Amino acid sequence: MFSPDRYEFFCPVKTNSGSRALEHLPFELDTMNATKPFVITSQKDARRGLVDVIIDAFKDSGVTIGIFDGAPAAPGMKLIKELFTMYRDGGYDSLIAVGGGAVVDTAKILNIAVSGAPEDIERYAGSDLITKPLKPLVLVPTLSGTGYESSRYACIDTLSFSSCFLMPHLVVIDPRMIVFEDVETTAAASLVTLTHAVEVYTGPEKNPLSDSYAYAAIRFVMENLVSVIRDPRDGKGRLALVNAHNAAGCAFSNSTPGMAHRLGKAVGDACQLSWGLCMGILLPHILERQTSEDGYHIPGLLLPLAGFDVYAETPEHMKVQKAIGILYDFQRDLFEASRGAIVRSLKDAEVPEEMLRDIARKAAGRSSTGFDADVSLMVLEQAWKGK
Amino acid sequence: MNLPGYYEFCCRVKIIAGHDALEKIPDALAYLRARTPMIVSDKGVAGAGLIDIVTSAIKDGVTIGAVADDVTPDSDLQVVHRLARLYREKRCDSLIAVGGGSVMDTAKGVNILISENADDLMKFSGANALKRALKPLIAIPTTAGTGSEVTLVAVVKDHERHLKMAFVSYFLLPDVSVLDSRMTLSLPPAITAATGMDALAHAVEAYTCLAKNPLSDAHALAAINLIGENLVRVTRDPGDKNGRLAMANAATLAGIAFSNSMVGMVHTLGHSAGSVCGVPHGVCMAILLPYGLEYNMHKNGHLTAELLFPLGGAQVYAATPEGERADKVIALVRRINEDLHEASGGRHPRFFREVVDREGKQMVPREKLPEIAKTALSDGSLFYNPEDLDYDDFLMVMETSWEGEPLERRKIKKG
Ligand SMILES: [Fe+2]
Repeated sequence: MFSPDRYEFFCPVKTNSGSRALEHLPFELDTMNATKPFVITSQKDARRGLVDVIIDAFKDSGVTIGIFDGAPAAPGMKLIKELFTMYRDGGYDSLIAVGGGAVVDTAKILNIAVSGAPEDIERYAGSDLITKPLKPLVLVPTLSGTGYESSRYACIDTLSFSSCFLMPHLVVIDPRMIVFEDVETTAAASLVTLTHAVEVYTGPEKNPLSDSYAYAAIRFVMENLVSVIRDPRDGKGRLALVNAHNAAGCAFSNSTPGMAHRLGKAVGDACQLSWGLCMGILLPHILERQTSEDGYHIPGLLLPLAGFDVYAETPEHMKVQKAIGILYDFQRDLFEASRGAIVRSLKDAEVPEEMLRDIARKAAGRSSTGFDADVSLMVLEQAWKGK
Repeated sequence: MNLPGYYEFCCRVKIIAGHDALEKIPDALAYLRARTPMIVSDKGVAGAGLIDIVTSAIKDGVTIGAVADDVTPDSDLQVVHRLARLYREKRCDSLIAVGGGSVMDTAKGVNILISENADDLMKFSGANALKRALKPLIAIPTTAGTGSEVTLVAVVKDHERHLKMAFVSYFLLPDVSVLDSRMTLSLPPAITAATGMDALAHAVEAYTCLAKNPLSDAHALAAINLIGENLVRVTRDPGDKNGRLAMANAATLAGIAFSNSMVGMVHTLGHSAGSVCGVPHGVCMAILLPYGLEYNMHKNGHLTAELLFPLGGAQVYAATPEGERADKVIALVRRINEDLHEASGGRHPRFFREVVDREGKQMVPREKLPEIAKTALSDGSLFYNPEDLDYDDFLMVMETSWEGEPLERRKIKKG
């Protein structure tokens, strides 16, 4: 097994997952010395009754909670300032983010403000500028996430933040919260998750700790995504997917984002497509490319993708081919299970071919290391055509 | 990947690993807003020159406030108090624990006193009695086995009042664990073997006992794979730096796995053999591990079978028919014990009757087995073992593992 010469790993997240996990919340808050949490969620999640489950969980605890259920899809600084005032005036001492995406961004950024002052926020935009722990932040995820919820990343307006202190202290995955979502939403977060976990597992910063989180995430997605897309009533599958989102967020926070992540985002931003869909299309094409480059660990990927038996039966020199083949098969299975909604090429995603050059240049310009515009363009062209 | 009805998983310890990881300690301390650490260790560690390695690696980046290298082999309340006084006197602001389990326990006890500005440690004993972060604590393990660099438990003994205090809190987790190959390079083969088998027992019991979960499973699989590839190798060739680092990684992974999923009967009996006869913990683990797997086979044989992949490697796994994999794992564990026995010049015992103390005296006389079996009855770790054991069952396991005979399958109860 690969054991690197040196590495660092840090994951402050505690995960509680399973039946009635929310009922442990009052106890968990007490261990963090928090007594009055401020809950942040979206109208959509409030309307479908998810907040009631949270309220129920606190019923006999004697803990007072505050609830803000108006987090919009695109929160701005103005909202953060309003929430800051509510938090301060209400005497809260901790945050609970219920949901995914913008709700969690809002809670993470608000946490910077309430742990210091709202004026601080801009100052901390960037990488690793927050230098001390923030207030306790609990994440209660749903299936409508982006795959970034438990990670060290957050963004608001044009500002983006990266710090391990932004990661939630506690993630409570409760089956009652993991309700059905539409195909696109379900696939988006899980494909971001798969991409992040695969890039951690195969990338130059591979190490046994981040591998453990990535391994669990990849197995869960491979075992459950197709079945949940085919039949969203698969509750155990949905729960497994959210476990995957969480584990991959932890792994991803310990590694420099890889090429599929960067290019996928660039395509998604340029064409208003979901990042996950783009990353999912690009991933096998990029891995094919990386097999001939130094510093990547592609053969071992067959293990989390396919499990012990397939890995053990596949001769050494066939492992890369097999792993990439499995990812293409996976694209096909998702395409079929979603009745064509999850497409397999950038062309089918309606990315104009003439935009590829521009996207490649932008993505290369953004990156600090690794790949230049020519390589990006080559990969984009392949992914445009599809397998 | 198995997804149990409910699980919890947490390891908030930052891991810094490498052949030159110690050099990163000043930065790690600065990040924790500390710069005057007190080093806590014991005579054995200091005698092996390890404190010198640590101090020379960090002295340019921090002020070493104090070095207390006289922690007793058994954590002791008076020592904890004495070190807390020293810490305050020298105006230290953080702790660096260099050593094994008792050094870590002692440092955690000291940390409670100095952080809470308290005189009475007892007030904080039990589960979750601590409510806030303690002073920065950096753990540097000097064996690759116990995993105490990533566990949230501390045990401090009050030898005067014959009390044992246990502390359980996430706040007891070290902030940083530094895994540096230099810390285990001089470990003698027999200790390398025993501590490595302790790590293997952690990972195997985490994977095969009742409180397993997907994240502890992933950590356990990685640990078992690293141990399968490296333990016999480093016992034969102690200077193998890469093998040493791989074992340090394995012990930490196994520690994370078992502290998030608990252990079973191997530890139950190991604890009592340790307390009744003073057998080192790792030695108990090495001897008992195959018996634990045999005893639970009818309950978790399918899980044991899966372990052939990480332990024996992909080829052995593929070459072994599914129905024979669990037996093969048990045979492999016995094989590893044989190899370690040979690689340590016979110092690594394979059965309890082979365990001797420094004077060569047998440590587990046969007539002590009933007492060991009786003591095991009151150990909490049995709770997570797949099959139940009563006094007769414990005695049977002790008798066979004393002789070195495999368990007779038909005598195992099936509840
Ligand atoms: Fe142990």
